[in-house]
Amino acid sequence: MNELAIGSDNLAKTYGNIRAVDGINLNVRRGAIYGFLGRNGAGKTTTIKMLLGLSHPTAGSVHVLGMDVLSHRMAILQRTAFVSEKKTLYASLTPSELVRLSRGFYPTWSDHAVEKYARLFEIPMKQRFEKLSNGNQTKVSLLLALSQGADLLILDEPTTALDPVSVDQLLHVLAEDAGDRGCAIFFSSHQLEEVEQIAENVGIIEHGKLLIESRLDDIKTHFRLITAAGNALPSQTSPQILSVDTEGNFYRYLVTKDAEGFAADLSQNGAIVTNMIPLGLREIFLQLVRKEQVCTSGNAGATPVLSSSSF
Amino acid sequence: MYFWKCWRDTRSLFFILLIIAAVIMPVAAVVCVGTGLLEEFGLSAGLSMFGLLGMIAALGLGVLGASEEFAEKTVQFLFTKPRTRAYFVWAGWAVGCIELLLIALVNLLVGWVTLSRYTANPFHSTLFGSVTAQQIVDNIVGGLILFLFVYCLTYALTALLRNGLKGLGASMGIVFGLPFFAVVTRWRWKIDVPIPANHIGTLPVMISNVIWILVALLFVFAAQLVVERSEI
Repeated sequence: MNELAIGSDNLAKTYGNIRAVDGINLNVRRGAIYGFLGRNGAGKTTTIKMLLGLSHPTAGSVHVLGMDVLSHRMAILQRTAFVSEKKTLYASLTPSELVRLSRGFYPTWSDHAVEKYARLFEIPMKQRFEKLSNGNQTKVSLLLALSQGADLLILDEPTTALDPVSVDQLLHVLAEDAGDRGCAIFFSSHQLEEVEQIAENVGIIEHGKLLIESRLDDIKTHFRLITAAGNALPSQTSPQILSVDTEGNFYRYLVTKDAEGFAADLSQNGAIVTNMIPLGLREIFLQLVRKEQVCTSGNAGATPVLSSSSF
Repeated sequence: MYFWKCWRDTRSLFFILLIIAAVIMPVAAVVCVGTGLLEEFGLSAGLSMFGLLGMIAALGLGVLGASEEFAEKTVQFLFTKPRTRAYFVWAGWAVGCIELLLIALVNLLVGWVTLSRYTANPFHSTLFGSVTAQQIVDNIVGGLILFLFVYCLTYALTALLRNGLKGLGASMGIVFGLPFFAVVTRWRWKIDVPIPANHIGTLPVMISNVIWILVALLFVFAAQLVVERSEI
């Protein structure tokens, strides 16, 4: 059996001249919690749509639960729960009626889970969806996804509109309940603290490109930010050097492994290593996305920043 | 369960139209007792009411059946359920179609019973004169095919445009604009444009009817093909 819940190979999506997703290779293990990070417009939602067959890849391929999305879409959807970014459901239905509607689609549906999460999230089950607060609407979407008994949960910014207590409850549910069932969770977010709290693996996407995919433990253990001063030091990225910032003779390297060895090499080349610090997810994220100077946001189609000489 | 959802979306309009369909002829008959109007105009009034009510039901159910299902915002929820998009298109269509037929049949049955009860000869009216049962059946079949045509067109356009008002507007534009267009093409270029549910050229009535039914279903099939290929 394929060990990957999600696997993509050079997955790409273009809209006209805009490359919304640019050849990404995702590897999400079964049973793992994977945080898919990126700024607004970085390509997270487009990627998720391709995972679910809502949007067709321009190039590359994607497998979900070991099956090709294009040829086995129904079988994948049977075992995959999804919460969309907008979380818009039928306005005139109550949560109870939405449960009634959704139940019929899934043989693995659990009414016990419905009761449990309705109580936990304090959802008014008899109130029309349109009358619910934004937070409760989000909770209803999550309740439907969690009660499905799915092997894979795909959540597009699931904590939007939730209060801190609800966020905490949700993260607990995802980490404990879904984790216990061996359900893989792929969730997009730009809330780094939440991702750091529960994710085992992270991927950071920017301008449609997957800048990094790694285990969170590896990031904490091995990733280092090295600052050095010297002449003609290495300025190219590599599997070991994730990013390089230069300012005059000062270099700042984001190193993924063997930071001590790399620092020693720099010293041998006459550089003075001034700093070598471990990094958290937040620092790495900022370090990586700040490198992108072309656009004002993570959006692949955003207007380029004009330099002062352009005016 | 999905059929239940479709039924739930349309049941209010269905019940309102069903009640109107069931009471309008009896109420009119009771009001007109002793005036002689029923004997004079009963059949033509009954068939006119049938046509008007059927058109309203076809347009209303066509819009309601598809507008929420394929609205921009809820379509992600719907199309990530483990069913084909064709299933959703045809399930919504089927529920509305059954409701439309029920409304039409109830209106016909109650109308016929009313005319039989309150008039000496239900086959006679001032407008139509004396008509045969075959002529009445042809009128009714023609009406039902027209309703189906309008319903399918409205449903398909609403699904494609993902908006109830736009779907209704486009459908009404076609349905009410087509006769004018046909008149213009005949007057200007001597070309006969077939009008829905009317005879096509010199074809037998049965063949014309089958063709109009297939054209109506073709709208839904076209909507299905577009919905299946659309990016969400």
